[in-house]
Amino acid sequence: MRGAAWAETAAISAAALLAALGVFGGFVALRGLNPLDVYAALVAGGFGSWFSLEETLTQAAPIMLTALCTALPARAGLLVIGGEGALVVGGVATVLAGVNLGGLPPPLAVALMCLAGALGGGLWVGVAGALRHWRGVNETIATLLLNYIAIAVMNHLVAGPIRDFGQVLKPASWAIGERLMIGTIPATGIHWGLVFGVVACVVTWVLMRHTIVGFAVDVVGGNVRAAQMVGLPIGAIVLATTVLGGAAAGLAGAIEVVAVHGFASSSLVVGYGYAGILVAFLARQNPLAVIAVAVLLGGITASGGLLQRRFGLPDAATLVLEGLLFIALLAANTLYGRFRRSSGD
Amino acid sequence: MIAVVGGAIRVSTPYLYVSLGETLTEKSGRVNLGLEGTLVMGAMSGYAIAYLTGSPWLGVLVAGAIGAGFGLLHAVVCSLPRVNDIAVGIALFLFGTGLAFFLGKPYIQPSAPRLPHLALGWWSSSPQIRVALEINALFVAGIVLALALRFILASTRWGLVVRTVGDNADAARALGYSLRGVRTLATMAGGFLAGVGGSFLSLYYPGTWNEGLSSGQGLMAIALVIFARWNPIHCFWVSLLFGAATALGPALQSIGYTSNYYLFNAAPYVLTLGLLVWSSSPRHALLGAPSELTISK
Amino acid sequence: MSEPTPPLVDVRGMTKRFGALTALDDVSLRLAPGAFHAILGENGAGKSTLVKCMMGYHRPDAGHVLVDGQEHHVAGPRDAHRLGFGMVYQHFTLVPSMTVAENLVLGKDDLPAVIRWDVERESMKAFLSRMPFRVDLDRTVGALAAGEKQKIEILKQLFLGRRVLILDEPTSVLTPDEADQVLGVLGEMSRDGRVTVVLITHKFREVEAFAREVTVLRAGRRIGGGAVTDLTRADLVAMMIGAAGLPEPAPRAALAPSPAMLGLEGLTVLDDRGLTAVREVSLAVGAGEILGVAGVSGNGQRELVEALAGQRRPESGIVRVAGAAYRPTRGQIRRRGVFVLPEEPSRNACVRQMTVAENLALRSFDRPPIALAGGFLSRQQLRAQGRELIERFKIRAAGPDARLDTLSGGNVQRTVLARELSESPKVLVAQNPCAGLDVAATAEIRGRIMAARNAGAAVLLLSEDLDELMELADRIVVMFEGRLVYETARAAADPHVIGHSMASHL
Repeated sequence: MRGAAWAETAAISAAALLAALGVFGGFVALRGLNPLDVYAALVAGGFGSWFSLEETLTQAAPIMLTALCTALPARAGLLVIGGEGALVVGGVATVLAGVNLGGLPPPLAVALMCLAGALGGGLWVGVAGALRHWRGVNETIATLLLNYIAIAVMNHLVAGPIRDFGQVLKPASWAIGERLMIGTIPATGIHWGLVFGVVACVVTWVLMRHTIVGFAVDVVGGNVRAAQMVGLPIGAIVLATTVLGGAAAGLAGAIEVVAVHGFASSSLVVGYGYAGILVAFLARQNPLAVIAVAVLLGGITASGGLLQRRFGLPDAATLVLEGLLFIALLAANTLYGRFRRSSGD
Repeated sequence: MIAVVGGAIRVSTPYLYVSLGETLTEKSGRVNLGLEGTLVMGAMSGYAIAYLTGSPWLGVLVAGAIGAGFGLLHAVVCSLPRVNDIAVGIALFLFGTGLAFFLGKPYIQPSAPRLPHLALGWWSSSPQIRVALEINALFVAGIVLALALRFILASTRWGLVVRTVGDNADAARALGYSLRGVRTLATMAGGFLAGVGGSFLSLYYPGTWNEGLSSGQGLMAIALVIFARWNPIHCFWVSLLFGAATALGPALQSIGYTSNYYLFNAAPYVLTLGLLVWSSSPRHALLGAPSELTISK
Repeated sequence: MSEPTPPLVDVRGMTKRFGALTALDDVSLRLAPGAFHAILGENGAGKSTLVKCMMGYHRPDAGHVLVDGQEHHVAGPRDAHRLGFGMVYQHFTLVPSMTVAENLVLGKDDLPAVIRWDVERESMKAFLSRMPFRVDLDRTVGALAAGEKQKIEILKQLFLGRRVLILDEPTSVLTPDEADQVLGVLGEMSRDGRVTVVLITHKFREVEAFAREVTVLRAGRRIGGGAVTDLTRADLVAMMIGAAGLPEPAPRAALAPSPAMLGLEGLTVLDDRGLTAVREVSLAVGAGEILGVAGVSGNGQRELVEALAGQRRPESGIVRVAGAAYRPTRGQIRRRGVFVLPEEPSRNACVRQMTVAENLALRSFDRPPIALAGGFLSRQQLRAQGRELIERFKIRAAGPDARLDTLSGGNVQRTVLARELSESPKVLVAQNPCAGLDVAATAEIRGRIMAARNAGAAVLLLSEDLDELMELADRIVVMFEGRLVYETARAAADPHVIGHSMASHL
C-alpha cells in the first residue's frame, strides 16, 4: 500500500517538474535561445562536473535546514514561512556567541555557537507558534512579518552596535575569527554544513515516523479536534514544532557564519528561507524527501552562474524556474487521489 | 511634520491600491498572498512600458493588466480541488518577483517619465513644504476608488454576489452562481489594483526601477485589510496610517536624525504584527471576516 | 397586482444513477395546485435526489416534468425558478453578514446591476404585509435564531414568486412548537390555494398532522403512497422499512442503583460567539445507568459534549468522576476511564488521512505495547492492535493500513466505537451515535452502548431521536436553551410531554 503511494508521489512530482521546465523553456525561447541548450546547461551546471556537484551540495545544505522550518510545523497543521528570518537571527546569535567565547577550544566553541544559532532561530519562530496557540494569530502572516523585522534588526545591529568598521564593502558584523570557522569535508570543497543538514533531516524523519512525539504531531496536524478529544497537549506540540523548525533554520544561519562568511551581514539574506518553503512543499513535508529535493534545487541555483556566463540570462532566471516549479507542483496536487480506488463498504 | 504628512500620502498610495484590491478578493472568500509578486511585476512592467512609449499612464494601464493576469493565474490554480490558496500565494510571490527581475534587467538604468501630481503647496515659500504637498494623481484616484468600492459592495448586484460567495458558499451555489467565476473575477480585479499600486512605486515614488523597490508592501496589505475589517473606507485611513509609519524613517533622516534608520524601517511591520496580535483571539474567528476565508477560520 | 398561483405539476418516471448506484428508479409524483405532499423515507431512500432533479441540480437519466400540462426541460436552478419551484434546505442559504433585506433581494433572478434600495424596500414591505410571519428587515441574519432563519428562508422563496415550495427536512433545527407554527402556516396557505408544499421528512408526526398526500420512497423506488387519511402509521412504517420491521431493542440488564459515577455541578459553557450555551447544568449518572438527554440540537448539547471531551473549556462548574474532580487531560482520561462518542465522528473524533489502525491507536499509542523504550513507537504493534480491533468490532475496511476516508459512515462510527469501548469505559458520553446510519448499523451500535451500560459504565446519551432515548435510557432529561428542564424515569416517560418540554417557553 505504501509503495503505491510513493509511486504516485514520484509520478506526479515528475509531471510537475516537466511542466515547469516546459514553461521555462518558453521564457528562454522569448530571448532567442534554444530551450534544449538551456536544459543541458541546467543539468551540466548542477551535476555535470565534480565542481558543479560541489556547488550544488553547498547550496543544498542550508536549504535542507530551512525546509525543515516549514515542513515540521506543517505536520502539525501550521503554515510557517519564517525560515528567512530565523536564519538571520541564527546568524546574528552565532556571531554574538562567537565573539564572547573566543577563549574556548575551537570544537567546543563552534558547538556552542551553533547551539546559540539554533536557539535564536527556535525562539524567533517559537514566538509565532505561541501567538498562534494562545492568541489565535495566523502564523503565516506572523512569520512573514517576523522575517522583515529580523532583517531590519540585523541591518541595524550590523550597521551600528556590532559593526566591524574594518569591512569596507558593506556593513558587516564583527568577525568570529579564522580559528572558529569550520572547514570543508576532506577531499571535497563542501563544508561540513552539509552533514548537519542531512543529519537533521534524517533525525526529523525518525522523530516523525517512529516516535510517540511524531505520532502526536501528526494527530494534531491531521485533526486538532480529535487531538483535543484524546487529551493531547496541543499548545506544547505547536510550540515544539515551531521551535524545532526555527532551530533548524537558525542552525542554517549559524552554518553560514561558521562555514561560509565568518561574520553576519546582509549576505545572510539570499533567499534560502524562501527556497526552503518551496523544497518543503515539493517534498510534501517529508523530511527524507527534503534531502533529495534540496539537492535538486541546489542544482538549479548552482547552474545560475553557468546560465549567466553562457547565455547572458540574469540570475533571476533560476528564481523564475523555481517559482514555476512551485506553481506546477501546487496545481499537480489535485491529481492526488484521482488514481486511487477506494475500498468498498 | 508636514513632511511626514506629505510622505504619508505619497507612501500610502500603493498600500491603498493593494488593500482595496485585496479587500475585494477576500470578500469573495479568497486570500491572495501573491500580491507582493504582482506589485513588483506591476512596477517593472509599468516602468518598462512608460519608458518604451513615453506615456506613464499607459504604463499604469499595462501594469494593471499584468496584475489582472497574475490574479487570473492565482484564481485558476486555486480553483483546482485540494489546492491551498496560501501556498499558491507564496508561489506567485516568488514567481512574480523572479519574473520581474528576469524581464526587468534592461530597464534598471534608463529613466522613464513620471506620473503627474497636484501642487497643493503653491502657497508656501519653503521648497520642502512645496515638495511635501505634491499630491499625486493616483492618490486622488484611490480615494474615488475607495468610495466606489463601498458603493459597489453595498448597492450593486455584483457586490452582493461577491459578498455571498465569500460568506456562504452554499448559498451562492444554491442561487446558481459560479463560485469559481466570481472568485476569479474578484481576484483579477484585486490583481489589477495591485499592479497599479506597483506602477506607482516605479513611476512616481521612489520613481525608479530596481530590485529593491518593494519592501513587503504587498504582504503588509494583507494585514492592513484585516485591521480595516474588510471595509474600503477603513482601508483608506489605515493606508494613511501605514504610510505615515513607513515615512517616519526617511522624514526623521531628512531633519538630521539618522541613527536607528533600520529600526524605523521595521516600524510598519511591528505595527502590523501588533495590530494582528491585538485583534486576534483563540476563541473565535476574526470578527467581520468573510466566513469562507481560509486565514480567518 | 394579483398573487401568482401554483401550477399543476406532474413528475413522471424520474430516474437518476450515480455510477453504479441507482439513486432514483422510475419515480412519479403528482402535485395538484395547493397540495401538501409529504415525501417519506429513510436516509438514502432518494428523497433529496428526487427534488434535486426537479430543481435542476441534477440532470436525470430519464423522466419528465410537466407544468400545467406542458413539458419543461429543467437544465438548472434558474429554469426551476422560472417555473415557480423554490427549495428550502436544512442548512441555511442565508448570508450571515447580510441583513434580512439584502438576503431577500439576493435571490431575485432579475436583480438590476445597481440596486435601488428605496424601491426594493417598498416592495418588500408590501409583500410582508400579506404574509403571516413578522420579520425585521434590517437585522443581520447571523444574529438570528434557527427558527427565525427558517422563516426567512421560506419568506424569501415566497417573495421571489415561487409557488411550489419544496422543504427538505426543514424542522430538524426547530423545536416542535416552532415546527408546528411554520408547517401550520404553510398548511393554511396551501389550503387557500396560494402555495403547493412538498415536505421531505422522516417524522411520522409531521406527515399525519399536516400533509394531505404522502409518497413513500425506499432505495430509490416509490413503494406506495396516497391520501394520508387512508394510511395508518403501521402502513407507513411497513412501506418505509420493508418486511424486516423495526429491530428488537437491545436486552437490558437489571442493575441495582448505585452512587453517581459521573456528576456535573453548575457547569457553564460558552459557545463560539461568546453566548452562554450551557447554563449551570447539574446532573448525576450512576454506574450501569443510561441517562438520556433529549432536545433539539442547538440547545447547548454540542457545547456540553465538547466540554466533557476537552474540546472546549467551561466557564465555571465542576465535573466529577467517581466523586473526584475531573479535567480531560490525557492522564486523567486514561485513569478514570472516560470515553466519548461525539456527533459527526469523522469531523470530531478521527484523523481522516490516517489509517484505520492509527485512528484506533489514538488513545493507546503512548503506552506499551505500541510505545517502546526511549519514546519510540512500534508500527508493527500498532498494526497488530488494529487488526485485532477490526476483527472484534467487525469494521469493514481493506485492512489496518487503509485510510480512514475510504470507509463508509457506518464503519467510521464502528472505528470510533472500537477505540472508545475497547478499554472498558467507566463513563461514556455519546451524542447522536446513530445519525445517518442504516437500520442494521443502528441496531448494532445501540446494542454496544447497552452492553457498556450492562457492564457497569455510566452513560450520558444525548440524542435528537426520541425513539432512541425511549429504547435505551433508564432516565430521560430534557435540555432546552442550555438548561435541564424536565426529568422522568423510563417507565413513566410520555413522548408528548417530553416533546413539549423540548420547547417549554418561559
